[in-house]
Amino acid sequence: MNLVTILLLLFQTPSPSPLPTPHVLERTPALLTLIYVFGFGFVILLLLLGLVRSRRQTTSPIPEDLPKAVRKRLGSTSTNRGLRALRWLFVLLSIGLFSFHIYWAHYAAERNEKFQELSYKDLRGRRLSESTLRGWIFDRSGRVDQPLAFYRRDSSGNIRREYPMDKAFAHIFGSDRGDPGLERALFGVQSGALPEALEVVKGQQIEFRGNQDVRLTIDRALQQAAVDQLKGKHGAVAILNPQTGDVLALYSEPSYSLAEVDDESTWIRLEANERDKPLVSRALGAYYIPGSTFKTVTMIAAFLAGEQDTEFTCSGGGYYAAPGANVIFDDGGPGEVHGRIKIDQAYEVSCNQYFAQMGVKLGAERLKRAAQLLGIGAYDTPSEALRGRKLPQIWDASTDAVKRALAPREATIVTGKQVTRYDLALMGYGQGYAGQMTPLQMALAAATIGNLEGKLMKPRIEYNVKPEVFNQVLTPQTAARLRSIMGLVTGGPSGTARGVFGPVKAAGINTGGKTGTAQKIVPLYDPKTGEPKTRHKVEKDNKGNIIREYDEVIMDNDNPRIDGWFLCIAPLEKPQLAMAVIVEGGGYGSRSAAPIAAALVLKAKDLGYFK
Amino acid sequence: MKNRASSHLLIILLILGLEIAGYFAVHRAGLLRGYETSIIGAVRDLMMFIPLIIIALWLSRNKKFAGNWVLYTTAILLFSFGMLIQYRLYSDPEYNARNKAQAREEKMQALRTRYIMENYDPVKKQLMGLPPTPAQPIEISQLPKKESNYSLWNALTSSYTWIPVFSFFAFAIAYSLCARDGFLLWLQRNSFIIVLFTLVPLAMAVVTSSAGKALGNMTPWEPSKIPFLIGFAGILTARYKDLAETYWGIPRARDIVPLLVMAVLPFIPFFALKDFGQMLIFSGAYTTLYLVAVRRWPQLLLFVGSVIIVIGILVVGALPRDIQEKVPLLPTIARPISAALPARIQQRFHLWLDGFDPPSPETSWWKKEYDESLSKDPKLKELADQSPAMQKTVNIDIWFDKLAFQPAQAQWGISSGKSSGRGFGLGFPEVIPIADSDYVYAAIAEETGLAGGAVIILAIIIFVVAGVRTSLEARDMFTKLCAAGLTAFVGFQALVNIGGILRALPMTGITLPFVSHGGFSLITSFAMLGMLMAFSSRNARDRVIADRPVAKSSSPLKLEAVQ
Repeated sequence: MNLVTILLLLFQTPSPSPLPTPHVLERTPALLTLIYVFGFGFVILLLLLGLVRSRRQTTSPIPEDLPKAVRKRLGSTSTNRGLRALRWLFVLLSIGLFSFHIYWAHYAAERNEKFQELSYKDLRGRRLSESTLRGWIFDRSGRVDQPLAFYRRDSSGNIRREYPMDKAFAHIFGSDRGDPGLERALFGVQSGALPEALEVVKGQQIEFRGNQDVRLTIDRALQQAAVDQLKGKHGAVAILNPQTGDVLALYSEPSYSLAEVDDESTWIRLEANERDKPLVSRALGAYYIPGSTFKTVTMIAAFLAGEQDTEFTCSGGGYYAAPGANVIFDDGGPGEVHGRIKIDQAYEVSCNQYFAQMGVKLGAERLKRAAQLLGIGAYDTPSEALRGRKLPQIWDASTDAVKRALAPREATIVTGKQVTRYDLALMGYGQGYAGQMTPLQMALAAATIGNLEGKLMKPRIEYNVKPEVFNQVLTPQTAARLRSIMGLVTGGPSGTARGVFGPVKAAGINTGGKTGTAQKIVPLYDPKTGEPKTRHKVEKDNKGNIIREYDEVIMDNDNPRIDGWFLCIAPLEKPQLAMAVIVEGGGYGSRSAAPIAAALVLKAKDLGYFK
Repeated sequence: MKNRASSHLLIILLILGLEIAGYFAVHRAGLLRGYETSIIGAVRDLMMFIPLIIIALWLSRNKKFAGNWVLYTTAILLFSFGMLIQYRLYSDPEYNARNKAQAREEKMQALRTRYIMENYDPVKKQLMGLPPTPAQPIEISQLPKKESNYSLWNALTSSYTWIPVFSFFAFAIAYSLCARDGFLLWLQRNSFIIVLFTLVPLAMAVVTSSAGKALGNMTPWEPSKIPFLIGFAGILTARYKDLAETYWGIPRARDIVPLLVMAVLPFIPFFALKDFGQMLIFSGAYTTLYLVAVRRWPQLLLFVGSVIIVIGILVVGALPRDIQEKVPLLPTIARPISAALPARIQQRFHLWLDGFDPPSPETSWWKKEYDESLSKDPKLKELADQSPAMQKTVNIDIWFDKLAFQPAQAQWGISSGKSSGRGFGLGFPEVIPIADSDYVYAAIAEETGLAGGAVIILAIIIFVVAGVRTSLEARDMFTKLCAAGLTAFVGFQALVNIGGILRALPMTGITLPFVSHGGFSLITSFAMLGMLMAFSSRNARDRVIADRPVAKSSSPLKLEAVQ
């Protein structure tokens, strides 16, 4: 019985990571090299001895009683004096040269900045990474027989890296081209990692991570389910465990094949595809207008500011944030009226007027504070907010390289002095200056509420990294309260996702969620070529001279793309999943994104996440 | 260590033993990377020791060599170190391959296979489609290997067989001739004619050469160094007393003008050949000779001063612009100078002073190559046009693919060698182009580290010290100057070569004497060695005669004795 368990364990857990090669076979040539060099050193010593011994006493001792000038002349001819001086000059120059060698061999790698900065140009580094096998990558089960990245010998006997789930992990792993993904971040090799001959002979081992296997937190079955759900659409799914920050699935469609981009022309073609942008991980690197899902952030801000009990009126006349500003209605226009409501109901029915008024009531400062706690950048001007910085520090990872490789674009809002009441109102329900959200960021916002202690856990993708807290955002009580509010969306009598989540409820899972819909004006594409349509513009001054000519991309103002969002936490009692789903051009969030989320929750139940 | 043939023969045998160990190391390391080194090549190389030992015996038995054996042994030490490095580089299938990518791929597969066999457990192996054997260290015989295709015929027709053999002949001939007083006297008297006759084949070489090389990748004008040196030494011997008589510190025109003519002659063909390295060595050697023979302080200062000024002007002209701008007035001074400097010199100076920073694409000498690369690769051009930052990246890429490729790869190689080196066959010197001749020191530094570098530099120092001693002991001016000149040639050549690689000096395309087997360079070095040893032997015999009081008056010296 015991034996069987041990055997099973052997097959279930990843193989113990192999130790660095102990350089057994390298020892012979290394030792012979040392013998050779030190043997030559010995010969040099003998030759030096020979040189010293063969020195001839040039002349017999000069009598002391001669005048100094005469003695000096007798000592050696002046020709010889010049020669001797030159000899010493040469010796000094040679030693000087050798000091240059010492510099390059010992100090350049540490002290010379240019040398370090450009070391990626060193061909040896590429040799090493080609000759050293990268570690294998496993999913969170750690099963060796189901690797995500491994080596296989092909028919011609060559050993090649293979990705069984290819497209599903392309954005996460990354190829050898373009920006590095996990593959290069985890297994990058520096030429300094190899030992010198003396160390090989002594059997010293060098710390080297490049060939160790890695177990990810991603669940291959859940990831595959996300792939299946998004098939044929444009969008992204991010699923986290709110308690630990584990990334369970992270997928963007369209993706690309890692095997195919080995070919450079394929890569260039994909890179040039402006319309589908298959190389971009939408979950991490694309900005979306969050729409109503941003009300979650506003709600968190309201609770942090103690405004959670404030009531606002939703009327048929709409809400004017400031005199002369555009009126704000709900999605149903003047016909949709909720009356005077509290935050719970406003969230349940996704009332725009309520959250617009809440945005104004909270003001820029309090929105900013909540946003920053959640990892959203708050900037003073729109141009700064649109710059799209990376946010590697959000990750909990073993190395900075991993953090950089998966760094999301920083989601941003604008909270500077120029922000008007109207801007605040728009931001309150996820429009206007709140239009730079990433799916991962929205998943993090949901995860904060899903965390039993109200903490925002840093997302982590390596299984062996300890969980880390990003921020203590809420008190446990507030988090529980917010969870129950989110539960109204899927379970409440007028919740926007009630219908879609019917089957989930029937399966006995209580969930929480938030729908969202956003309109985005996108370029008009030529259906034949797939290129954005442009019109040629010529600018003239008042004398009719041409100032400049350019091609302007035509924006499709009449038919904006409607993106559907859904945020979800499940199960409500002790959330194991926090999810953000976006479907580009999918229409209402409750009809496009929510069904995907519901299907994924059911899949997670099958996989045993809610036991 | 006595200066006897027998003890030095023992050392040569010791070197042979070490050499065998070195060849074995290269062979084993090759197997680890999946290729077998050529046994024929190794035997051919080791057989070079037979003529070397025969020459040593011939010198001591037939020629009654009484001079300094250290010269000979040091040269052999350098020669065998070089031979091993060439063997290591040329047996690497990638180094000289037409299809480098394929050769590299094969090597990498060999390393990967071994890693898997040693480290992967049976489960992993099975998943990979390999027989599920447990992870365990494997024997070297289990590794797949690509056999060497170096045949006996290759060995017999290879220049690497014949050039050393020719070098040994050159050595023997030079020694036999220079051991005779009559020949030396003839040389000294006809030195001017000899120089003139040397110019004729050189002029032809200038016409036929391209980019400083001729006959493939050779520099056949290398041996002309010897007649030029003899010419200069000859005229200096005839005039040095007059030259020493100065007026206000300056010699008379009728003394100095012929000397200057003689000094300038070699510069003309080498300038035409764009062989600036040789010009540098000639300046060094001639200055040495002049200062040794004439020894007047004002002239010494004049020489040193002018050398410093010339170097200063060159450096100022070649300094990168951003550094120039930090010093007031410097850009104004430097602009006309850098405009006047030949492109090749500017490029070498840039690589020397600022090799890791590419010049801006507008720089005159870099623009052409930069534009050429862009026109070859439209993708790059598109990138470069996007933004200034992108253009900078593209510029760096092209710079390191083109001009800076060789020096930068050498630099990283030296850095990776650290103290004891990677070990023969375990480093990657094969990525450095022409690592077997110009950049041989970089290959040595990578695989044997600082220790190997110290061996080479110490050997050069020993050679120079022994050469200077030969010159010191010479009792007539002509051989004294010749010995000093030959030593200076070898010494400066080594300094300039190593200095170029270590970025202490600008890189010039000259070889490391005795170590690089760059065709004519090796032949010339051995001929120089032959002359030096002949002088050394003469000195010893003169000394014996001079020490005999009776014979002192009837000294056989026909050459003019030193004052």
